[in-house]
Amino acid sequence: MNSRERFFSMLEGKPVDRLLLMPITMMFAAKRIDAKYFDYVTNHHVLVDAQIATATAFDLDYVSCISDPTREAADCGAAIKFYDNQPPAIDETNALLADKRKLGQLKAPSPYKEGRMHDRVRAAAEFKNRVGEDKIIEGWIEGPCAEAADLRGISALMLDFIDDPQFVLDLFEFVLELELSFARAQAEAGVDLMGIGDAAASLVGPALYEDFVLPYQKRMVNALHEMGLKVRLHICGNTSRILKGMGSLGCEIVDIDLASMADGREAMGPDQILLGNINPVKVLLDGTPEIVTDAISRCHEQTAPRFIVGAGCEVPRDTPDENMYALRDYAQSHTPALNR
Amino acid sequence: MENLEELYNAILEGRMDAAQNITENALQKDINPQLLIDDHMIPAMDEAGRRFEAGEYFIPEMMLAARAMKAALNLIRPVLLREGAQYVGTVVIGTVKGDLHDIGKNLVAAMLEGSGFEVKDLGVDVAPEKFVDTVKETGAGIIAMSALLTTTMPSMKLTVDVLKQDGLRDKVKVMVGGAPLSPRYAEEFGADGYSENAAAAVNLARKLVTA
Repeated sequence: MNSRERFFSMLEGKPVDRLLLMPITMMFAAKRIDAKYFDYVTNHHVLVDAQIATATAFDLDYVSCISDPTREAADCGAAIKFYDNQPPAIDETNALLADKRKLGQLKAPSPYKEGRMHDRVRAAAEFKNRVGEDKIIEGWIEGPCAEAADLRGISALMLDFIDDPQFVLDLFEFVLELELSFARAQAEAGVDLMGIGDAAASLVGPALYEDFVLPYQKRMVNALHEMGLKVRLHICGNTSRILKGMGSLGCEIVDIDLASMADGREAMGPDQILLGNINPVKVLLDGTPEIVTDAISRCHEQTAPRFIVGAGCEVPRDTPDENMYALRDYAQSHTPALNR
Repeated sequence: MENLEELYNAILEGRMDAAQNITENALQKDINPQLLIDDHMIPAMDEAGRRFEAGEYFIPEMMLAARAMKAALNLIRPVLLREGAQYVGTVVIGTVKGDLHDIGKNLVAAMLEGSGFEVKDLGVDVAPEKFVDTVKETGAGIIAMSALLTTTMPSMKLTVDVLKQDGLRDKVKVMVGGAPLSPRYAEEFGADGYSENAAAAVNLARKLVTA
């Protein structure tokens, strides 16, 4: 069974030969080929080489276009700070929409023209060419709350929810259009699965999440399904209070970061595939292979059988290889007898 | 007599205009400004912090409360300073070099101000030398550092190293926070304390300033 067969079989509830292994790697992958992270995020050839090298070394079931959250905002004209060997970041002191009135004039950039979004689309196409027969190819877009925060500034957005809710809705509409056009370009280039990263959604609490964020995430997920894509939701941070909403979206895969896997299972029901959630720093970076194995087995026990092996968030750059091998060995040595 | 209980409610519920109006009226009526802070404003922020830790308040509610607190404090602070009142302590705060994430740091800064600390907020991407230079300029007793990336965390240790080189380590307490940190990591590089959230950071600062 290759990774593609394993992935689609699991999604359909059919038997598979072993657990899927899909931890998020970015800086860890760049380090694997001795690439500077600046090159990883700005040159899709580097990203693709690093992802394939990492997926090969650790027998991951997928390769991903994920790199950093600033591609869309950069093409919109936001101020971005780049670093030699860590992810680029939004310069919030000069947020693109510091003046809310600018939203009316803002045009969604095209993912087909040269820019940071197009570089990701080209990564997807190169993946398709090189490993499309074997590995699952994951595209990536920002969720409504995360991208709105990138454009407006996260602190300002948090206050906007109360001070100017209509602005938040208008901004989310803009973001939805932007992200879906980006997703469509990646789908055309050959991705199978679309990751939605919506980190800021874990900051707002259940009431604002359900009133503002959830409806836009739902529209996003529905539109991605209409494009023929499978969907993975990744919300960084403590999602304990919004698990039920996350499970209502219909995503094929939901990542859990800082919440209990058991709570995730209880809130989302037995059919939802859950991915995670060993602590990236305390367990994967600082732990031993024994600690990693113990932690991932507990995640598995709490969520089996519809479970994918992974960390709560990105695998840290300096994670020891033996800890990643422990994750691999766990996935390879466990065969879900029943998937549904 | 002004209904000062309303000041507590206005701050807790994040109603900035109400907090300002009540404070202005109270000051005009010569109500002791320190009493406004100690009996109404700090308890309101403490309750906001308690609700945050209990999962009843989230970042937007905390930011609204902090904004209301700050608006009221801006009215009171000049009066207090004229009367020779002292801050609880001075904190130099910032997000470490190479890191632009500031929402957690901003919340901690606002909560500390609301609790009577003088706060020198250096913003984001702050070099170790900048933290230490500001301590020298202000005589601050605490440095508070935030990081959200595993790649920027080591800058915290560098700051401690610069404090040692400059002979200031014994005079300054170092507290840290941020998603990838742990108490163990903080202890390993020689910080005096770690806190998981803004409310806990205030309690930690209170302990450190009297230690």
